[in-house]
Amino acid sequence: MLQMILTGLLCGGLLGFVMQRGRFCLTGGFRDMYLAKDNRMFYALLIAIAIQSVGVYTLISLGVFEFSAGSLPIVAVIIGSFIFGIGIIFAGGCATGTWYRAGEGLIGSWIALAGYMLVAAMMKSGVLLPFDTAVKEIQVESNSIAVTLGLNNWILIAVLVAVVGFIVFRTLRKPTVKIPGLKPKKTGLAHILFEKRWHPFVTAILIGLIAILAWPLSVATGRIAGLGITTPSANILQYLVTGELSFINWGVFLVLGIFLGSLFAAKMSGEFRFRLPDLKTTINSFSGGLMMGFGAGLAGGCSIGNGLVMTAMMTWQGWISLGFMMLGTWTASYFVFVRPRKKTSQTAQAATA
Amino acid sequence: MKKTLEVMGMVCPFPLVEAKEAIKEIQTGDELEVQFDCTQGTESIPRWAAEAGHEVTAYEQLGEAAWTITIKKK
Repeated sequence: MLQMILTGLLCGGLLGFVMQRGRFCLTGGFRDMYLAKDNRMFYALLIAIAIQSVGVYTLISLGVFEFSAGSLPIVAVIIGSFIFGIGIIFAGGCATGTWYRAGEGLIGSWIALAGYMLVAAMMKSGVLLPFDTAVKEIQVESNSIAVTLGLNNWILIAVLVAVVGFIVFRTLRKPTVKIPGLKPKKTGLAHILFEKRWHPFVTAILIGLIAILAWPLSVATGRIAGLGITTPSANILQYLVTGELSFINWGVFLVLGIFLGSLFAAKMSGEFRFRLPDLKTTINSFSGGLMMGFGAGLAGGCSIGNGLVMTAMMTWQGWISLGFMMLGTWTASYFVFVRPRKKTSQTAQAATA
Repeated sequence: MKKTLEVMGMVCPFPLVEAKEAIKEIQTGDELEVQFDCTQGTESIPRWAAEAGHEVTAYEQLGEAAWTITIKKK
């Protein structure tokens, strides 16, 4: 138990710290691919996936633990991921993003988190369980891309690493404009940790390494999985209302660690303050949280569980989920950001005409 | 001329969306001051300004999780 608490909080703490300081936001990343034609954050995610893939499959090859991809509940993954994508736009952050923004003192994220935990728990052991089970029964035999294609996992990993390497090389070669920054007030290590702007690719490398670390730490406590947010978030609520100790696992301390790590990073950088959202943001946050819980519950993972971890494990679930999650964020972005502006510019033109 | 946009309490990406709208309404050479408290804005607003070719004439942290940035329109 003590080991679970310590290693879970440590891994989560590192992740929360790195995400807060690195401004690692997948919601913003997916959204900007569509709104700003900016793929930087998506590339950063691919870096983290590739690093984790190499690391985790090395550990598996060394016999540290075994991994079985299982079968693919394809309908649940597609529908769930799409709804999750819509939800994170409304909530203003993905599941992990919401945990770390809660640590920055954003009350809107606390509200999103409440909705997310509630519906995720309803899907896992509540009134939505029969629905969840029924949709997940529609399955495709193999979830492993390597098995379906009749290839070795290492060939897939080599292809991924080559593609990512090419993208990184091409992106870094492009001339960049100098982004104006705040005047440094700190020096040395304090400046790097609590002030400096981190390059998204550096943040991505750190997140990839933390994602590798998560596997052996979690496996050592009997939980054969890597980073995961949705089930542990539901587990917290399930434990609180039932008192059943069986709901407590390594993942619970991981997500609590994300909150604490971000809180520490934000405090030390002068970026923590309780911030109250207005009514519209509050409603968006809560409804976004509800959609996140429903979507991630159905899809069997969020942008971390499916988008970062199951992708690295070379499963269909991970990559299909990532694709539909992105489609969901683009659909929601159209209705939240693009259409309202078109409308106002049309009314403005009508008024001047 | 200087226009002030106060978007404290707005979450990402709305401060940036508002700033992009506001800068359309001012003349070249005029300044737009954006006051915001969304942490992600510390990255996204100066990045947008630089990439769009505007000049950042002032950028400061006002206090705990509060910032101001002044952008001179291209």
